[in-house]
Amino acid sequence: MLKPARTFRGGYRFKNFNGQARPVIVENQIPALVTIPLKQGFGAELKSLVKKGDAVFAGQTIARDDSVVSSPIHSSVNGVVEDVKRMNYFKRQTAMVIIRTTNASKEIPRLERCSLEWARLSNEKIEELVYLSGVSSLDREGIPTRFKSSIIPPEEVKHLIVHGIGSEPYNISLDLLLKEKNLLNFLEGVKILKRIMPNSKVHLSLNSKKRNIIEQVTKLTSQLEWLDTYPLEPKYPQGYDEILVPTILNQNFPYGYSAANIGVVILNIQAVLGVYEAVCEGKPFIERIIAICGPSIKDNIHIKVRVGTSLKDILAERVKTESPIRVALNSLLTGFQLNDISLPVDRTFSHIIAIPEKREREFLSFMRLGKTRDSYTRAFLAEMLPWVKRAPDTNKHGEERPCISCGFCERACPVKIIPHLLAKYVQRNLIDETIMNYGIFNCIECGLCSYVCPSKISLMKIIKEGQDKLIMQGCDSTQCILPYFNLKGIKEYRGVTKL
Amino acid sequence: MKIIKVILENMNKASQKNKALMIFKPVLNAMDEFFFGTDKVTSLPHIVDNMDIKRLMSLVIIALMPVTIASVYFWGLRVFLVIMVSYAFGGLIEVCFAVFRKKEIHEGFLVTGLIFPLILPPGVPLWVVAIGVMFGVIFGKEAFGGTGRNIFNPAIVGRVFLTIAFPNIMTMNWQMPFNKGLGGFIHFQNSVDAITTATPLALFKNQGIITSYSNLMLGQSAGCIGETFRVGIIAGGLFLIAMRIVDWRLPLAYLATVVIFPYLGNHLIHTQFALGGFQLLSGGLLLGAFFMATDPVTSPFTKPGRWIAGFLLGFLTVLIRGLSGYMEGVMFSILLVNAFTPLIDTMVLKARYKKK
Repeated sequence: MLKPARTFRGGYRFKNFNGQARPVIVENQIPALVTIPLKQGFGAELKSLVKKGDAVFAGQTIARDDSVVSSPIHSSVNGVVEDVKRMNYFKRQTAMVIIRTTNASKEIPRLERCSLEWARLSNEKIEELVYLSGVSSLDREGIPTRFKSSIIPPEEVKHLIVHGIGSEPYNISLDLLLKEKNLLNFLEGVKILKRIMPNSKVHLSLNSKKRNIIEQVTKLTSQLEWLDTYPLEPKYPQGYDEILVPTILNQNFPYGYSAANIGVVILNIQAVLGVYEAVCEGKPFIERIIAICGPSIKDNIHIKVRVGTSLKDILAERVKTESPIRVALNSLLTGFQLNDISLPVDRTFSHIIAIPEKREREFLSFMRLGKTRDSYTRAFLAEMLPWVKRAPDTNKHGEERPCISCGFCERACPVKIIPHLLAKYVQRNLIDETIMNYGIFNCIECGLCSYVCPSKISLMKIIKEGQDKLIMQGCDSTQCILPYFNLKGIKEYRGVTKL
Repeated sequence: MKIIKVILENMNKASQKNKALMIFKPVLNAMDEFFFGTDKVTSLPHIVDNMDIKRLMSLVIIALMPVTIASVYFWGLRVFLVIMVSYAFGGLIEVCFAVFRKKEIHEGFLVTGLIFPLILPPGVPLWVVAIGVMFGVIFGKEAFGGTGRNIFNPAIVGRVFLTIAFPNIMTMNWQMPFNKGLGGFIHFQNSVDAITTATPLALFKNQGIITSYSNLMLGQSAGCIGETFRVGIIAGGLFLIAMRIVDWRLPLAYLATVVIFPYLGNHLIHTQFALGGFQLLSGGLLLGAFFMATDPVTSPFTKPGRWIAGFLLGFLTVLIRGLSGYMEGVMFSILLVNAFTPLIDTMVLKARYKKK
């Protein structure tokens, strides 16, 4: 059923950034060498089942452990294992399997007993397919199956939220993901998930600006009484679990914990498509669609790459080299900066964003009209020219100044805390219960306060620092949450993308 | 652009050679930053808003432009001189403190330096302007630790000081504005001091005369330099609200209280309390409500706090205007409510984050 449009208080809508990825998809060629991290997405790091010199084929399971919370990991090419070693991967020592391609065929052997008529399969078989394909490791909670791929068993899931809102400055194209047949596949995927999690209600939240997709989805799902569709305003950070749960379920979120603790599983559209492909087509999850965005990319498109491809293979030909650039992973506000271009792609990558690293100074910068400048205030010409694309860069656009309590951060904050107040407490080293009472542990690190601050204060960093100091003093972040929620008692777990 | 760069470089070199000139480093840095912006880059988030304090302050100055230009028309070219004196002496204090503290020079003064002359009577002697602005910046701002830490609005502090120290100059010196032809654009100042008159508020208080609303709106009444052209003040205020630089809650609460509350007072003592419409358009109310009460540093940052402050301001303004001997209700009420700001915020926070 189509529900009325919803939104939340605070937040900010990033509009019309230059270098949005076009809805075109190009398949990247099979790389000569892949490096596969043995920890991808949700789950523990696994031990390799292969060793140096073993021949492997694309889709072969190279790591699996049913005794810990995890999902299997596959080889993404046909080749020979060159090495198994530990490497620094996103500030964490991670075991990697390095495979040299010997046969660049694009064939991927199917998983056993997959079937287009999935309705005839037993629940166990469906769950097994989802688990074996590795798709169950996506997103912050993973997809629950009976194989310990998530932290809650599937029958305890009360709500399943599938979101495709695109509230970041750069987003993967919804039109592309849900193009023609994909839309039907996606809805099949949703039905499969409902079958796995029989006690759940499914909430489909889509970008309210994509009218045609919402219309089609509504038409196709009008018969399903367990599914609701919510058009949501694409206001950052609507796609965060902490914001989706209150907007859709009108329920408080246990900040700092995973949504699974209150029986909610949140998945994005690529994960659901992955479920369909695993169950109906038997594809192991070794390919990923990545949006290549930003003004420093020659041609903004989506690419389909094998897991383990190094960033060099993806970016070398695609970035503009005239001036220095900065490459960020998944999000311009919270994403990891990709300095080391030899790192491999894993299952959690969805956006690679390259913007100019602008160190040049600008003459009378603050007096410019600002045709291409984005701002939370309406003080630039861009606000009046909605057709002109806005150009992001990494310049600070101003000197750091003392806080003048302008209140922008408070107005923008999606979790209703007062960033500038907390920052003042932390900077003066007044770290005690007061700031905990003011909700310092509610911070979801969306980075919006640092973004909007006209005094260029790194509020997010200061708040994070305050949290750390508070924890060092023995203040327990759980005491803000535990008395008010009936949790399943599992501590928050964040994937590599959210470092 | 290149010329400025060369000049700055030369000055930098000179200051490096001569130790005595090193103390002017903050001034050079401020100029350098002013002209050429920053070369620093972000860490996380990777992008930040294009808005900075310089632009924020320049927008407030742009919003004050209609009033400033109109005030030159009404009171003559001498207004420029008053503004220049205010900038020069206020800036001097600012620079001294920056040099003394070895900190950068902040932009906040750009607004104070322009607002301060706008709330002085047109015939004010220049030495009084200099004293007022210096007092305001030292005791209103620097004594508390500079930008962002002050409790009181520096312009108001300077103005209150002058009102109390030089009551004759500050409350008697009213003129009628130019209203014909090019007016003040071609005159230095209003010809003679002989045309002394009273402000609309004084006229009401002493003789019960109510100046017509159209005269009040278009600036055809006596008053401070920048407070009489009320169409321009409203336009500037709405501009800032539309730009999201000023929050609409406080001015709305303030003005609404001033309009509604006098009706009650008017019922009781109608010789003392003028009706709401007149209260709204007389004195420095509009300038105060849009440009001074909303100063982010000295007004509450919580939203309920802004409503409370607005209401308090309105209440105090009407009371002071109606029952005290002073006409400067707006000025005193802003000063008093500034003192209450931390208390209001603390109370709001206490209520909001009550232990469950």
